[in-house]
Amino acid sequence: MSRRPPRGEYIETDTGNKVARKATLVGTQNIMLGGKTVIQPEVMIRGDLIRSIQSSSSSASGAAPNNTAVSIGRYCFLSRGCCLRPPGRLYKGAFTYMPLRMGDHVFVGPGSVVQAASIGSHVHIGARVAVGEFAIIKDYVRVLDGTVIPPNMVIPSFSIVAGQPARLIGEVPEGGHEAFELRDLYKTVGNNPQPAPS
Amino acid sequence: MAAFVPYTYFQCPCSDSSTLAQSSGSNSPSSAHPDPDDGGIDDDSDRAFDPRAPRSNYSLYPLEYLLYCEDCHQIRCPRCVAEEIVTYYCPNCLFEVPSSNLKSEGNRCTRSCFQCPICIGPLAVTSIETKPDPNLLAAPDSASHSGPYALTCSYCNWTSTEVGIKFEKPNSIHAQLAKLRNGGTSRLTAKERKERRKDPAYTSQRAAAGSERESSDWQEDLDLETQFANLKLFYQSQLADPNSADHGLSSLGDLGFSSPSSLSRIMSIYTGGSLHDKKAKSRVGAMREALESDEGLQLADLDESAAISRLRQEGYDGTASTEQLLEQPPNLGEEHLHGRARFTAELRPIPYLLRTKRSKRCPVCRHIISKPEAKMQTTRFRIRLVAGSYIPSIAIRPLSLSGAGGSFSSSSTTTVPGAPLEPLKPAHFLLTFKNPIFETVKVTLGTPARTPGRFASKVTVLCPVFEIGANTDVWDEALKDSSGSDRDGRRRRGKGDEGGGGGSGGGGLTNQIEVGKIWERGRNWVSIVVEVMPASLHLREDEGDLPLREEEDVLEIPMFVRVEWEADVGGDEVGSAAHGRDSKEAREKRELAYWCVLGLGKIRRS
Amino acid sequence: MTSYCRPAILSPKVQQGESKQSFPHCIKQPCSFPKIPQGRLLKSQRKITMSSKRHSIVPPVSQSGPKPPVQFSSSITISDSALLTGTNLIAISSESVIHPRAKLDSLAGRINIGRRCVVHERSVVGAVGTSGRITEAAVTLGDYVTVEVGASIEAGDTVIGDGTTVGVGAKVGAGAVIGKHCTLTPHTEIAAGEVVPDFTVVYSNGLRRPDRRGIAELKNKGQIRQIDVLRRMIPSNPAKFD
Repeated sequence: MSRRPPRGEYIETDTGNKVARKATLVGTQNIMLGGKTVIQPEVMIRGDLIRSIQSSSSSASGAAPNNTAVSIGRYCFLSRGCCLRPPGRLYKGAFTYMPLRMGDHVFVGPGSVVQAASIGSHVHIGARVAVGEFAIIKDYVRVLDGTVIPPNMVIPSFSIVAGQPARLIGEVPEGGHEAFELRDLYKTVGNNPQPAPS
Repeated sequence: MAAFVPYTYFQCPCSDSSTLAQSSGSNSPSSAHPDPDDGGIDDDSDRAFDPRAPRSNYSLYPLEYLLYCEDCHQIRCPRCVAEEIVTYYCPNCLFEVPSSNLKSEGNRCTRSCFQCPICIGPLAVTSIETKPDPNLLAAPDSASHSGPYALTCSYCNWTSTEVGIKFEKPNSIHAQLAKLRNGGTSRLTAKERKERRKDPAYTSQRAAAGSERESSDWQEDLDLETQFANLKLFYQSQLADPNSADHGLSSLGDLGFSSPSSLSRIMSIYTGGSLHDKKAKSRVGAMREALESDEGLQLADLDESAAISRLRQEGYDGTASTEQLLEQPPNLGEEHLHGRARFTAELRPIPYLLRTKRSKRCPVCRHIISKPEAKMQTTRFRIRLVAGSYIPSIAIRPLSLSGAGGSFSSSSTTTVPGAPLEPLKPAHFLLTFKNPIFETVKVTLGTPARTPGRFASKVTVLCPVFEIGANTDVWDEALKDSSGSDRDGRRRRGKGDEGGGGGSGGGGLTNQIEVGKIWERGRNWVSIVVEVMPASLHLREDEGDLPLREEEDVLEIPMFVRVEWEADVGGDEVGSAAHGRDSKEAREKRELAYWCVLGLGKIRRS
Repeated sequence: MTSYCRPAILSPKVQQGESKQSFPHCIKQPCSFPKIPQGRLLKSQRKITMSSKRHSIVPPVSQSGPKPPVQFSSSITISDSALLTGTNLIAISSESVIHPRAKLDSLAGRINIGRRCVVHERSVVGAVGTSGRITEAAVTLGDYVTVEVGASIEAGDTVIGDGTTVGVGAKVGAGAVIGKHCTLTPHTEIAAGEVVPDFTVVYSNGLRRPDRRGIAELKNKGQIRQIDVLRRMIPSNPAKFD
């Protein structure tokens, strides 16, 4: 990996994150990556939309306890053209954004817009999905293509949801847990992509 | 049209009554010691399995949906396993509901979790009386957290104020809603009803109403729950009344619907046996029916002119769809069954149905084959015997012809995935079998030469018998590597090398399609080639051919798979072979056989 | 503040040069950023921030087409990575917010954005549709309009009424007239020339129902608060578009 060409499509960090040069990350200091996460080209992450209620109280010191706007776990895969942005709402009469938290092995399909409050681990979000503000998606959830998840919706573990608005259409079977693993997918992108194992 | 994705479905033996009977009758020993002359398997292979038969719909599953019973050594599917509920929880607030509450409160969340009756999105409790003075922008939150609340859908913007329902408190909405009728009037309790009857104003009103219609017809509007309570009370008093036996019709005995004993039997089903009375059983007689609303009588209101005029006014868009009506929970606050909501403007919020975590038992031996942790928050399983860790998975890839004379490039990825198959032109597919168990398995494949159905495609499995290496760890593979590659000579490692090599690497990487030869082999996987000659979908309309049915253009091959391996005699677990390697003498043959269906692609329509 | 047409194409190379050094190599923490608590969000995980001097990775976008004349109120907030293109005037009224990577295209006519509108990232206002016709006013957004992420509003006398929200990924066809205080839920598609009356919610692939919440005022107030916050968060650079 050290002999990588001087300017590949991706920037590969020490912790194994692969970030496309053509991804748009706004407010990088507020974006936490757990490592081994792939960010494909044309992905947009709005790290600049931080909690404002907290920072307004302690902005003078400049050391707010936590300014993280978007935190992403390990082995996440953000496909081309998806957008992560923290959800915002009125809280006690003032508007504030709240952090978006994402666990490990989360796949976000191309063109999806995610404004969830939290997404668990082993979650598969299909293509062109709109995840509404403050939605909570638990572990082992599959969101099919084109789904619109309304704001504030809670999706419990092992759900398969689809539709506009999203509704439960099935359960993830016992044998389907391994399909959420993204380790192999991680290897297939980057500056030295490996072929997918047969 | 969406691109076709090849698929593999496995058949669960439960659909075949003979198989199930056989395995249940002889239990595990027979399947553990398979006799080659045993008729059981041969019976199966005699009759080719038709994936398009209507019954097959119910027995074919993707591998991940299937479980495996280690005691019966058989595949189990969601349709045949016996489920037991481990935990009930609300899918919205994620609170666990004790099963004792379920009996009293029903199977819906009794907190504040509701779904929108219009679009089934989640409803949020919002405060509605927020009209702070526009001049007081500085202190806006002082007023916002008081006063009536409503349920609002954040998706379609429905609000419970549309049916006139407001709440005083932001919590325990379910209890508040139960007391509210549409329009915001609260339901009368039995006590309030009685008190109302004493009220002179009410009696005069009643008399006025009664004089308008036939006086005997007039009755009080009861909601469902009150009606049931009244009826129950009435019948109970009838049962208790010893005089009821004196009335005639005793010759009908216990068979009549009006006999107390049959009634008490029915009632005991619904009320948990409280009515079941030994004495009542011995008594024979008839009872009179309820005559008044106090006794639970409700006359059907057949006057629908109001509904009709409303329909004229609001039109089709104002009526509730069947789906919306189905989602509606039975509303005990409704007047009676005839008043069932017909218009969207009458729909009430839907309390979330509880969800469950369930454990699964083998239908034959009753052993648990899947058991999740009871806690709602955890996603772990105590027991999870999935078929994917016992039987080889089958992956399908189209193989493209790159040169003449049966020479193929292994860069099969160049074919457009999901492209339709040309009729009457041989196509090749690569089937990759991956062995999940820690033993070397011998696989025997059988397919009918022609696929069943109207359009018979020719199928040839070029290598129907092969062995797949054990699912040992990678270290073992490294040790075996040299011998393995010599024997097969067709080992190909990662495609990374290939990409760099370009044309020069072509010679070494080109595989020959040869009958009886494995295409490629890895540590615990083997690829073989299947040749198909897709049938022509040409229909002769003049000869009375029916038009193409749905999915009839999909080329599906039924394939019988027989897996044989050696396992430890004692070891229950097929998977844990770590300790079994040193005791090779104490091993026994095992075998598993099942049908599966390979969906290879769609045939181009002519 | 008014400026006039000065067609100049931004050189992508200049921007590229900027972004080359802008990309920080993610540094193994914890020392350089003590203010970010390690492992607070997810225990047992080493947290890495993507950070150094620059606070954003914004790859250049090819500014294709001419630079449009603009007419900005002095109180607007417009990110300098917003995309303005076209030949006709783009007018943005007071206190409106244009997020990074929002695209306003005035090729097919004038773009008017009312007061206190929020145009989110990746949305396209004034997308040249299939008709391709050029009109006097391509797109007119009323006051308090929200255009959410990835929504697209085609050009051609398209009007979005006051207080209307165009949801994530929604599409409004050319010449459509959306009334006041409407809600187009995510992925809604409004055909060209369609008229949506005031207080309509379009949901579930085109179903419509009236919005009877009666909270238009409240919503506007929320919008004001949101704009207050966004103004602090989005570095505004209206001068770039002059």
